[in-house]
Amino acid sequence: MLTELETTLLGVMMMIIMLGMGASMTPRDFLIAFRKPKGILVGLLSQFAVMPFLGFLLAVALGLPAPLVVGLILIACMPGGTTSNIFAYFSKGVLALSIMMTTVSTLVAVVMVPLLLSFYGGLAGVGAENRIPPENVAQILVVLLVPTILGMILRKFSPNVGATVELIGSFMGVVVILFLIASWVPRNYQLLLDTGLAIYFATIGIGLMGMLFGYWVARGLGQDTNRARTISLETGIQNGPLAVLVITLSFTGQQQQEVLLIPILYSLFIVLTSTAITLWYRRNATREALARDAAKVQPT
Amino acid sequence: MNRTDGAVPTRPWIDSYGTSIPAELPPQAHRSLAHLVRTACRQHAGKTAFTCVVPNGMNGSLGFARVDAMSDAFAAFLHHHCGVRRGARVAVQLPNGLAYPVAAFGVFKAGAVLVNTNPLYTPTEMIHQFNDSGAEVLVICDMFADKLAEVIPQTGIRTVVLAGVPEFFPRIPEAIVRGVQKVWSRTLPPVPPLDIPVLRLRDALAKGRATGADPAEWWDGLRPDDLALLQYTGGTTGVAKGAMLSHANILSNLQQVLAMGRSHMTGNDCVLTALPLYHIFAFTANLMTFFEIGARNILVPSPRPVQNIQRAIENYPITWITGVNTLFNGLMNEEWFAAFPPKHLVAAIAGGTALHRSVATRWAVMTGTPIAEGYGLTESSPLVSFNPLSGAARPGSIGIPVPGTDVALVDADDAPVADGEPGELIVKGPQVMQGYWNRPEETAATVKGGWLYTGDVAVMEEGGFLRIVDRKKDMVLVSGFNVYPNEVEDCLAKIPEVLEAAVVGIPDGASGEAVRAYVVRNPDAPGELSREAIIAHCRTHLTGYKVPKSVIIRDELPKSPIGKILRKDLKAEVKAEFAGKT
Repeated sequence: MLTELETTLLGVMMMIIMLGMGASMTPRDFLIAFRKPKGILVGLLSQFAVMPFLGFLLAVALGLPAPLVVGLILIACMPGGTTSNIFAYFSKGVLALSIMMTTVSTLVAVVMVPLLLSFYGGLAGVGAENRIPPENVAQILVVLLVPTILGMILRKFSPNVGATVELIGSFMGVVVILFLIASWVPRNYQLLLDTGLAIYFATIGIGLMGMLFGYWVARGLGQDTNRARTISLETGIQNGPLAVLVITLSFTGQQQQEVLLIPILYSLFIVLTSTAITLWYRRNATREALARDAAKVQPT
Repeated sequence: MNRTDGAVPTRPWIDSYGTSIPAELPPQAHRSLAHLVRTACRQHAGKTAFTCVVPNGMNGSLGFARVDAMSDAFAAFLHHHCGVRRGARVAVQLPNGLAYPVAAFGVFKAGAVLVNTNPLYTPTEMIHQFNDSGAEVLVICDMFADKLAEVIPQTGIRTVVLAGVPEFFPRIPEAIVRGVQKVWSRTLPPVPPLDIPVLRLRDALAKGRATGADPAEWWDGLRPDDLALLQYTGGTTGVAKGAMLSHANILSNLQQVLAMGRSHMTGNDCVLTALPLYHIFAFTANLMTFFEIGARNILVPSPRPVQNIQRAIENYPITWITGVNTLFNGLMNEEWFAAFPPKHLVAAIAGGTALHRSVATRWAVMTGTPIAEGYGLTESSPLVSFNPLSGAARPGSIGIPVPGTDVALVDADDAPVADGEPGELIVKGPQVMQGYWNRPEETAATVKGGWLYTGDVAVMEEGGFLRIVDRKKDMVLVSGFNVYPNEVEDCLAKIPEVLEAAVVGIPDGASGEAVRAYVVRNPDAPGELSREAIIAHCRTHLTGYKVPKSVIIRDELPKSPIGKILRKDLKAEVKAEFAGKT
């Protein structure tokens, strides 16, 4: 179980991450993104319809025990992680769209996550003892919006400071995952050894499947390849540390450790899978951008 | 009358100057570019001269006073540590950034000659240019340091100075940009071991400062006719040659730019410099002219992809943009630009290549400001003609000759053509180069009796407005008829499925030459593009002999660094293709 100090530290790191996320955009980026709101809506659909359903399917298909089902469904219902913005940036995706999706999905999550949790939890037969109180989720999300807005103001005021904060936030995104692993793994190595292949499959599979379905849902709904890649990363990359924070504030003792298993493993593996996918997307994006640029002269 | 006999020509365009453009140039206030830099830096000491913006919005700035002090230090370094003396050549191979003005102005203050070099040059091109110019010192962007291993041993370069894209940024942003270059984009290669001194610009400036020398003693004696730049140009005949531009050439052209635009320019202007400063257009217009009046240059290191310019336009009150057709078109196709065109924009200047009428019209609608098209050559520093900004501009025209300039249109025998007839445009004025460096024959073929033969065919319309018909040497001769590729290209560009087109001649047994069109499909157009449809379209709009006999559909066309379509590359392909066939 995470100590009080560790939980506080996790909260502070989340604040810094959200500050960095805010600092990666300006209000104008928002306005531009809202000129094509379809992308954001498609992203939300993929985020809150496709992803939770995939999580539920995996949980049922693999016949996981209740605490793990809660962990998997929680991860699947989470809003987009801030690391998705870094990956979208490095994959030369539509950063504004990624940031918008992360922010909007974080806002919508206040309502959607509790609803989805109880819906899929009920469907999977999760008992009351494993239920996550909805007000916990809502509270945490509201608090994290404050640094986000501060970050935006910073970026508008000074691009040099804003971009620096953005970078610090990005590093923090990696630090927080290392922190989670360092504070959780030593206490649960036995659990890890007992963990079956099915669970590893679920934790790695949920991210990859999210990216795959996210891409094709977006393409199917008329998004161009660049936006579809962004939505793909956004769908697959969930806010793992937020799930951990929610769990630590909702459960205690052995139960906490068990529910934490999948979100923590997910947070570790998603960095690896996203890096691979990002490198691939980046190559495609560079090629397309140069071709588009070379062919910009549009006669009438 | 033969124009080259030295007869005094009339200037029918003076009437089109209106009230805002002076008929004659004022007397020259500066003796040299170094003198101009010193005067401007003193006069505008408290203001910001240059801001460099990288794609993520991170930026660094230099004020006029710092530019003065730093270029002094660089001049002292060149003189005392590199042995650079008056007239020596110093190559500067930098993308747009804060290092560029420091290096270029330092070269002028040392009394030396600036050899502008494209950072994207291959080692072969670099070796040619450094040897041809006899450059002694090279200032190069650290992103391209890997080329030094091959280049330096084959040239007379004695010292290399390295500068980065985020040079002179505040410390943390500089470290971040360099970190991204090094770790993520991997665009910072290690510096190869060389037998000559290699140092960073910062260290060079420190050494220069330590000498305590006042560079005025090196530039004070410069005369207007002393050489300021060797500006290399592929020109019309293959191998690149250095146009010799004197201090007076650039200073005069600067006055000519001001004569045409001063009524719309102020010292509070903010000019977007996305075109490379190593190119003569941005060098004279942005670096020198706007600097002189105390305006601020917003430098963009790389405008490709066009999105790289976004933060520069969003974060600064841009009042002027200099660009080429492809840049304006590219900007308008960006969502962020179309949604929020720059609010403070006064006007844009187009040059380098023909501005499409559709682009000019769309720009005027989108931004509410005009694009004024000008015309110039490397050999004329560059500006020859410009459209007046005060309402009299003519779309499709390159405008009227700038004050102090004579132009004439001549036929193959150097005789002036009849009014309204096409002829080769020849230019005489204080901006015309002294010749090509070490190439007397090519100089004699290009500058005759003070007249610069541009190789462009133009017509003069009422009021002295000029319209370029085409490059003389690009003309295709079909059964004795002249076909101007521009005319055929314009016709092709009207097909919605055609994005870009280029036209060249191919050998043809029956007609001597025939027209060939290279066409790029427009990915945004719904229809298909077929050779038959293209030829059918041309048949309905063009006389028979102008219709392409051969049509080739390509993914892209060869382009110059500033976005000009390179017909010469296509001609080279044709030559290779038909070698031995006829």
